[in-house]
Formats: sequence, structure tokens, C-alpha cells
Amino acid sequence: MNRIKKFFKYDNVGMLFVLPGFIYMMVFVGFPIIYNFILSIQDVTVQTLRSDVKEFVGFNNYIQLFRQDNVLTLSIWNTLKFTVMSILFQFITGFALALFFNKNFFFAKPVRGLLMMPWMIPVTITALMFKFMFGTDVGIINYLICSIGLISENIDWLTNTATAMPTVIFANIWIGIPFNMILLATGLTTIPQELYESASIDGANKFHTFKEITLPLLKPTIDSVLILGFIYTFKVYDLVYVMTSGGPVNSTQVLSTYSYKLSFDMFRYSQGAAVANILFIILLLVSLLYLRYVYVEEEV
Amino acid sequence: MGTERNLSRRKNILYCAISVLIICILLFPLYWILVTSLKTEKEIFQIPPTFWPKELNLKSYMTQLERGDFNMFRSFRNSIVISVGAMIISIVLAVPASYGVAKFSFKGKKAIILGFLITQMLPVSVLLTPLFIMYNKMHLYNTVWSTIFADATIGIPFSVLVLKNFFASIPDELEEAAYIDGYNRFTTFTKVLIPIAKPGIVVCGVFSFLYAWGDLAYGMTFIIDQQKRPITAGIFNFLGQYGTKWSYLTAFAVVTIIPVALIFIFMQKYIIEGMTSGAVKG
Repeated sequence: MNRIKKFFKYDNVGMLFVLPGFIYMMVFVGFPIIYNFILSIQDVTVQTLRSDVKEFVGFNNYIQLFRQDNVLTLSIWNTLKFTVMSILFQFITGFALALFFNKNFFFAKPVRGLLMMPWMIPVTITALMFKFMFGTDVGIINYLICSIGLISENIDWLTNTATAMPTVIFANIWIGIPFNMILLATGLTTIPQELYESASIDGANKFHTFKEITLPLLKPTIDSVLILGFIYTFKVYDLVYVMTSGGPVNSTQVLSTYSYKLSFDMFRYSQGAAVANILFIILLLVSLLYLRYVYVEEEV
Repeated sequence: MGTERNLSRRKNILYCAISVLIICILLFPLYWILVTSLKTEKEIFQIPPTFWPKELNLKSYMTQLERGDFNMFRSFRNSIVISVGAMIISIVLAVPASYGVAKFSFKGKKAIILGFLITQMLPVSVLLTPLFIMYNKMHLYNTVWSTIFADATIGIPFSVLVLKNFFASIPDELEEAAYIDGYNRFTTFTKVLIPIAKPGIVVCGVFSFLYAWGDLAYGMTFIIDQQKRPITAGIFNFLGQYGTKWSYLTAFAVVTIIPVALIFIFMQKYIIEGMTSGAVKG
């Protein structure tokens, strides 16, 4: 009895609050991650799915994936391209908008609020929307650039290997702008106003104040936005899957869609797990880097 | 939140005009699917396109009410069940967990927080194949539970991390006062702290709901029967089978956006708070 009392008095009681959530996450996330790794070094296909004995093949799945065709290498490359291009434009547009809405005009707050919408729409809908707008015959984009005379023939944006990736990236930029804008806008509000005032007394021009005050003071926010952007973009699945399913001829195949294709179209579960694992390890490394960076001075 | 000094009247008007222009460009896609959903199939393919339907056509919505295979209102209901389920699980588990990590120190706490932070950044792909096989063995495959359980794994870490900061900001004196009044740690938590943390809990509820509402991968992979699938998976199926039926597809899309738009209109404050507090600090 005494012992129980002591236990409850001690701070370990906090563990009881955490435990249910922790166990849940272990069952539905922790265990699957480990299981995913085990799957990736076994040979599980639709034939062996229900048998109890599964053959261990070591890292053969990984080796085979790299050897059998170029799709894995291509997917890694595509994922990088997709991520870097998306972030580049999201960040620039988001930053410009954050600076603009930081000005104290009448519509600033309500309009900035409305611009959050793209981020909240289910990605499936966004994908469908852009698929429609970039449609070859039905799409408004083709109509618009045709009518200003830039093209004479409709472009088949999503079914052409050259234009499919830029189109998907375009849609992803649209989703990411609000995220970049709001985080940078919040960062801007933390810069003390006096700094700008004294700079303008010293006769510094706008470009100069931006370079010497805004950018350095905003650096922690900028770093967070870029790293988080990388993590969120690198794992994008729904958008690509709904818009192109990785096609045409794998030109938009990213790691997440390739993993899905292997597991659920080709029923090569082990290979799908192996690709997912590659994606996971890359993201884990970047996440740890980010966490180390954010919590370098702060106690967790 | 404008941090710059007041602008002259002329600049103010100019900036307002620019901001309206920005919104027209950026939100045009949303306007475009709404308008398209109200057009007839013939008018959709018309060149030049019309920016407002010549004849208002509500058939795309009405036929969905009656017909079988892709009944969007049934999918809508499934999505509500799944999202509310995931939201409840997230809140019930995350509220005590965040209190535990915010107000106590115990062995392994740091590791647990790190775990939550990392799961927040997890790709869905890494869970799809193992959960698919697990669900098959647990007889959860092709039930709404499969997707509810999977969707809650997105809401829980987010909620824990947002609420952790919330609970940490509540002064310890409050708890001590409750002790003196005869509350124990559990009743302090339920009677004193939860009411104070309510705004934070609302943020987490909203986000857990939205994460689940937007999910496609889990709903599509773990549920096979069209009758049980969430609306996002329903749309995806429809797209695959009737790829050019844009009047129906856009109507489907509008219906999916309605709850999001409602949440957005009534809870905008919470959304911006959630985005900034959840994302940057973790």
C-alpha cells in the first residue's frame, strides 16, 4: 500500500497519462514501421501473403529494385525534382505575400485569412481541380494561353512526359503557398519595429533594410519553413496519385506512388515496403536534423 | 498583426485593390469547380468557356441523391463517421498524454516526445503495406475502423505537440490551489485544467477532423467496398471510371469542400493558430 502511495506521489504518475496514447501509437505506428522493415527483407507477394513461413532474402529486394529497371532511381530523382521546384516557388511566392500582407492596409487581415483556403482543401479535390483545369480539350488553361496566342494547338499537359511533372509541381505550389506565407508572416511580426525606424533615420533604402534586418532576423523561421517544406513535400502521395498515378511512362513517379504501385497494383508487398523504407529513412534523417536544429538551445 | 506604420489613404486603397486581385487569381480554381458543377455537361465543353452558367443545372447534385454506385451522400456520411471517429480517438488519447508530458518529469519522457515529433513527419507509404497485412490478420480490413485507426495516427502527434505547449503555459500555482481544495492529480486534470485548455483542444479537434477528412491513401487501401468508402476514395474511383464526367466530378468536389469551408468560416482563428503553433515549434 505504502509503495503504491509513493508511486502515485512521485512524478511517474505522469506516465499513466501518457501511456494510453503511447501504446496506441506503438500499435499503429511503431510496430508497423518495424514490420515494414521486416517485410522489406522478406519475400512477400500475393502468393505468400497468407502463408505463415516467409522467406528471408536479406537486402535482395533493395538490390533487385536498383538493378531490375531504372524506375527506383528515376523515382528518387523525380521526388527530389518535385520537392526542390515546389519549395522554391512556394517559398518565393509565400514570402512575397507575407511581406505584402504585413503592411497595415484595410484588407490585409481578412484577405490573408482567405488565402489559407488552398491549404485546407482535401488534396484529392485539389488534384481533381487541376486535372480539370489542365485538361487537353476541356481545360481553361489551354483556352487562356491559346487566346493570348502563345500556342496554336492544345497542350496535353498531363499525358505528355515533358509537361506532366511541371503541371503536378504547379498544383503542389498552389497548396504550399499559404503554409509558407503564414509561417513567414508570423516570423515577421516578431521583428521589432524600432529596428526599421532607426534604419530609415539612418537613410537605409528598402532593399538594404530587407537584406540587413529582415533576412537575418527571419533566418530561424526561414530555416524551419524550408526544412518542414522539404519533409511535407518529399512524402506527397495523394496529389501525384490522383493527377497522374505516376505516369505517363513513370515521368511523375515519386517514391510514395512507386511504393504504392509495387504493393497494391503489382502485389509485390516486400518491394513496396522496401521503397517505403527508403523514403522513410531519408525523411527520418532530415527530421532528426530539423529537430536538432530547433531544439539546439531549447530544452525539450 | 500589421507591424508597419499606418499607410497613406491612397496607398491603402491601392494595396486593397492589389490584395483583391491576388485573391481572384489564387482562389480562381475553387470558383471554377463551383461554377462547373452548376453547368450542363455540354456547356462545360463549350468554347469559349462561360464564366457563369447560362442555364443553372442542379442535376449533377440531384442524381447523386438517388443513384446507387457512386452515391456521394453516402460517401459523405462515411467520411463524417471516419473523421469524427478519428477526431474522438485523437482527443481522448492526446489530451491526457500532452498533460503528462507538459507537467510531469519521468524517465523516457524525452524519447516519447521525440517519438511524437517524428511520427508527425512520417510518410503514409511506410504504414500502408504493414497495416494492410496487419488488418488482414486482425479482420479489420474493409471495415471503417481500419481507416479510423489509421487516420488517428495523424491527429494524435499533432494534438500532443500543440497541447503540450498549452498545458505548459498554465501556471503550476493553479494546480497547487486545486490540491489544497482537495482535488487529486486526476480530478485537477479533469475539473481544472481541461476547461482552461479548451481552446487548444478545439484546435486539435479541428485539425484531427481535417486530416482525416482529407485522407485518400488509407481509405482507398483499407476499404474495398464502395459503399463503405470515404468521399475522397469515392471521387477517385469515379474519376477512374467516368473520367470525363466533369459535371458530376465537380459536384462531388464541391460537396467534399462544404465541411471544410464551414470549419474555415467559423473557426479561422483556430486554424491559423494550429498551423503556426503545430508546425514551427512542434
